[in-house]
Amino acid sequence: MYLNDFEYFAPKTCGEILDLVGRLGTKAKILAGGTDLLIMMKEKMLKPDYLIDINDVQELKGISYEPGKGAVIGTATKISEIEHSDLIREKYFALSQAAGELGSAQVRAMATLGGNSCHASPAAETPPPLVALGAKVVVKSIAGEKELPLEEFILGNRKTTLAEGEILTKFLLPEPAPRSASRYSYIGLRDAMEIDAVNMAVNLALEDDGRTVKSLRMVMGSVSPVPLIAVEAQGILIGQVFNQELMEKAAQAASVEANPISDIRASAEYRREMVAVLARRLLQQAFNAASGTKEGNW
Amino acid sequence: MNKPNYTQVGRSVPRIDGPLKVKGEAIYTDDMVLPRMAYGKIKRSPYAHAIIKKIDYSKALELPGVIAVITGEDGPNKWGIVPQTANEVALAVGKVRFWGEGVAAVAAIDEETAEAALDLIEVEYEPLPVLLDPQESMQRANEVRIHEDAPENILHAGEQLFGDPDKAFAECTYVLEKEFHTSYVNHAFLEPHTALASFDTPSGQLQMWSSTQVPHYLHRQLSIVLEMPMNKIRVTLPAIGGAFGGKGEASPADFCAALLSRKIGRPVKVTYERSEVFATNKGRHPCHMKMKIGLDQDGYIQAIDFDNTLDGGAYAGWGIVVMFYTASMIHLPYKVPNARARVRRVYTNKPTCGAMRGLGGVQPRYAMECMLDEMAEMVGISPYELKMKNAVESGYLSVSNLHVPHTEYKKCLQTAVEKSGYLEKHGKLPFGKGIGLAGGYYISGTAYTLYQAYKPHTTVLIRVDTEGGVTVHCAAADIGQGCNTVMAQMAAEELGIRYEDVHVVSGDTETGTFDLGSFASRLTYASGVAIKDAAAQINQKLKEVAAGMVGCRADQLEIKDGRFYSKFEPKKAIEWEKVVDVYTNAVGTLVGIGHFSPPRLKGIDLTRGKRVQGANIGHSPTFGFSCQIWEVDVDLETGKIRVAKVTEAGDCGQAVNPMSVDGQVEGSIMFAMGQALYEEMRLDAEGKMINASLHDYKVPTAMELPEIDTTIVDSYDPTAPFGVKESGEGPVQPTIPAITNAVYDAIGVRFTDLPITPEKVLRALKEKQALNSECSGS
Ligand SMILES: Cc1cc2nc3c(=O)[nH]c(=O)nc-3n(C[C@H](O)[C@H](O)[C@H](O)COP(=O)(O)OP(=O)(O)OC[C@H]3O[C@@H](n4cnc5c(N)ncnc54)[C@H](O)[C@@H]3O)c2cc1C
Repeated sequence: MYLNDFEYFAPKTCGEILDLVGRLGTKAKILAGGTDLLIMMKEKMLKPDYLIDINDVQELKGISYEPGKGAVIGTATKISEIEHSDLIREKYFALSQAAGELGSAQVRAMATLGGNSCHASPAAETPPPLVALGAKVVVKSIAGEKELPLEEFILGNRKTTLAEGEILTKFLLPEPAPRSASRYSYIGLRDAMEIDAVNMAVNLALEDDGRTVKSLRMVMGSVSPVPLIAVEAQGILIGQVFNQELMEKAAQAASVEANPISDIRASAEYRREMVAVLARRLLQQAFNAASGTKEGNW
Repeated sequence: MNKPNYTQVGRSVPRIDGPLKVKGEAIYTDDMVLPRMAYGKIKRSPYAHAIIKKIDYSKALELPGVIAVITGEDGPNKWGIVPQTANEVALAVGKVRFWGEGVAAVAAIDEETAEAALDLIEVEYEPLPVLLDPQESMQRANEVRIHEDAPENILHAGEQLFGDPDKAFAECTYVLEKEFHTSYVNHAFLEPHTALASFDTPSGQLQMWSSTQVPHYLHRQLSIVLEMPMNKIRVTLPAIGGAFGGKGEASPADFCAALLSRKIGRPVKVTYERSEVFATNKGRHPCHMKMKIGLDQDGYIQAIDFDNTLDGGAYAGWGIVVMFYTASMIHLPYKVPNARARVRRVYTNKPTCGAMRGLGGVQPRYAMECMLDEMAEMVGISPYELKMKNAVESGYLSVSNLHVPHTEYKKCLQTAVEKSGYLEKHGKLPFGKGIGLAGGYYISGTAYTLYQAYKPHTTVLIRVDTEGGVTVHCAAADIGQGCNTVMAQMAAEELGIRYEDVHVVSGDTETGTFDLGSFASRLTYASGVAIKDAAAQINQKLKEVAAGMVGCRADQLEIKDGRFYSKFEPKKAIEWEKVVDVYTNAVGTLVGIGHFSPPRLKGIDLTRGKRVQGANIGHSPTFGFSCQIWEVDVDLETGKIRVAKVTEAGDCGQAVNPMSVDGQVEGSIMFAMGQALYEEMRLDAEGKMINASLHDYKVPTAMELPEIDTTIVDSYDPTAPFGVKESGEGPVQPTIPAITNAVYDAIGVRFTDLPITPEKVLRALKEKQALNSECSGS
């Protein structure tokens, strides 16, 4: 359970970080909350020679918001800050819910939003809502910076597009559409400290009539190596008046689109079924919230 | 029920050990660091069954900082809590029998070096076929033998016959026969096993600090493995972070620390990782049970036939005892006139099973309480009525000669039923919601030591002087269950002083007088007897002095609230301290010493007057009883079971510390709920554990904690010291069947294996649906 020997850096600015990652390359690892990294090091899955602690870098932390433009969340923002942010709760409810479900209070106090996406676990809590909310990430290196949708950033189980010398700096969340609502939920054995068997986020916007689905993002986690966008399911509802029958069809379609495996937490069959359950519940909740009807008939 | 007016017993006082634990100041074994202390680590087998062909640790010894390496040959004597079946060794000799078995141990200047050294130890194995299922293990015994001396891969098998069950079944109106399977679970206490040994070479003395619940049995086993007389070994318990039976035997950590310390002449500490706690296990036995129950036309139990195959894992441990406990547990808390038990404990290549809170009771209780629930339906009465009809009463003697001096079991059933509204809800809630009832009981100590001996099981020495006040000495183990607190309360009660003024010296084989250990829910009762005995001697001596000071006869004095007074003229009084002062000045320190020896009860078939093999196990001076009613909501789409509420009522005799009893009950409920719904040790096909961490082995968290309503029913056992029984293990008994019965009430499915996971629930719901539509279709 011991860590290998490493050299530790605690830069104060983003520039210093980029210098360090540029110089040290793959021998270095970014240390954010450490809640994934240190475990992998203790289990000898990783033996970096250098750790670059980004917790002292103010420009990578915090949540800001500009009406009409959306929110910017620094990569090193703690999950607990997101969980307790009124702004996130009001504008990006699915993310607020997911943040509240990650690990335990202790883990949320340490873990960062960027760490959750960079670790790229298929069961991770926040990537599905972020993708559903249309989040983009900003990736930076000495050479410059680029923006890309989160679903393009995460490539597979513990795989991202991050190349040598690059770091993730922030998440850009667009202003939510009018008459829209987002919801998140997961299936797991316990109500805390649970690696999700399945999770899902739904972001649904209605036309002015309050009944027709204008846009929809349905993203499922833990049923594929990457956050999986339920394209078929979305297609069934977009442009249609929301109703139970279509909702059921969409739920079934999502279940077919899912590509789960069997492991210690659940069988593939159970996961597939749960995709439909989550889809039904989240679509209904999001529709109710977006249309202003009273919440919850489950 | 002539219950005395107690002032110290029955008080909800905070734990003696509470403040230090809350402040983080309590010292656990792993907190201790001694000068020149080395750190020990154990190299573990990646195979579940293999011959050890060669161990080469020369490279490890070359690593700077490594001081010594030992292997099985350095301490090959067999140890075991039950001497007749002792078959464990400190480190494997010749062969490994489960994944994670220790094969070598290193001492180094720090833990990091010790860990690095493990990788440099080269072990050559010849893998053998792995047997993970007890049925398969018995079937393939000719071809694969786990222990040379167990040709059928069975540690022991037994048959117990009481009365004539076959004849009784033939006359029964209602007969039900079912199979149940329980899961492979671990205690998941917070503090991993840890041991610190300091061997002094010149004097040949060994000082051990260890996280154990059985200092005495550890003491004995150390003496066997190290070939040292017990009087050269001292076992001391620092604060203990939970045990629940998992520290109810010595552990290889103890032996490796001691052997390494003796080898290098320096203190050595060995602290397990969580994965090592799982690898060395000693948790609950998975049981594969067949039970048959027969009722007469009025619903009275006439006979039980019980067949149990216990999956014991690799070694003997507590196995034979657990096995016979499962047999004995069918005789209570209902009147069973005829019974047969056929039991066998089978070896498999798994981390060994052992003692776990409610040992031997939880599995048969699950089967029996679920079956009675089902049989009530067959009879057409409520499970409550069926259980009330059959419940034992004070003075009951079972056909196996178990004697119940006192019980309030019916009151437990009544209280829980009334408080939960069970009768109004049962069978009447909407689909998906359910309520379930189950009862249970447990022993308050045992009748025998695990090795042949006639000595008292507990000795308490009370010392009184002007400097220290009152000090109670006893080598009992407070593992978090609170025995130090209740011992202080009972001593204060008997001496007529306040709990706050009593000191307790426990958990040390040198400064404490003899005690067998914390298991079998024995300590409150046992120490209570010894305390009464010791205190009586002290009171007698002090009364003789006080009599002269007050001016009356000693036998006319009472002691209460820190005063001696004449019972005829209470104004004639003198402060307790003043009497002690006078006594000490004249005579010196005053001591009283008391002992407890349980009645030596025999397991006899009363219908034939014949002794029955293994049936001495299960006897106890008295028994605790309880009832639990669980209300659950089943999510019909996900299969997830949410517990809405638990209503509990328990007969623990006189509660010495009601707050502590509530804690035990609530803890028990969470503990057993884990086995019912979440927990399971999982092995792959090769016998490697795949969830050996608390991340993947799912103990219920605070989020799963249901609303719990507990009642300590009014009870006083006149045959017991202060009227006490037990509350540490009885309350785990009803939990699993109560949940299972509630799930049945909710969805109409009776689960017979554990844990009841959402996936199983959903599958069962589907099968039921398919069946229903088939029926309605035809
Ligand atoms: C007990 C426990 C429970 C948990 N429960 C959950 C759960 O329920 N749901 C869940 O999703 N996760 C859970 N996790 C996993 C973990 O907490 C999250 O993934 C967390 O968000 C990781 O963030 P971090 O800041 O701790 O990342 P770190 O461990 O610091 O980093 C993770 C990886 O990302 C890299 N990295 C971090 N930031 C950057 C950056 N800005 N640029 C480039 N690379 C970067 C690191 O180098 C490292 O490889 C749990 C962990 C623990 C220990």
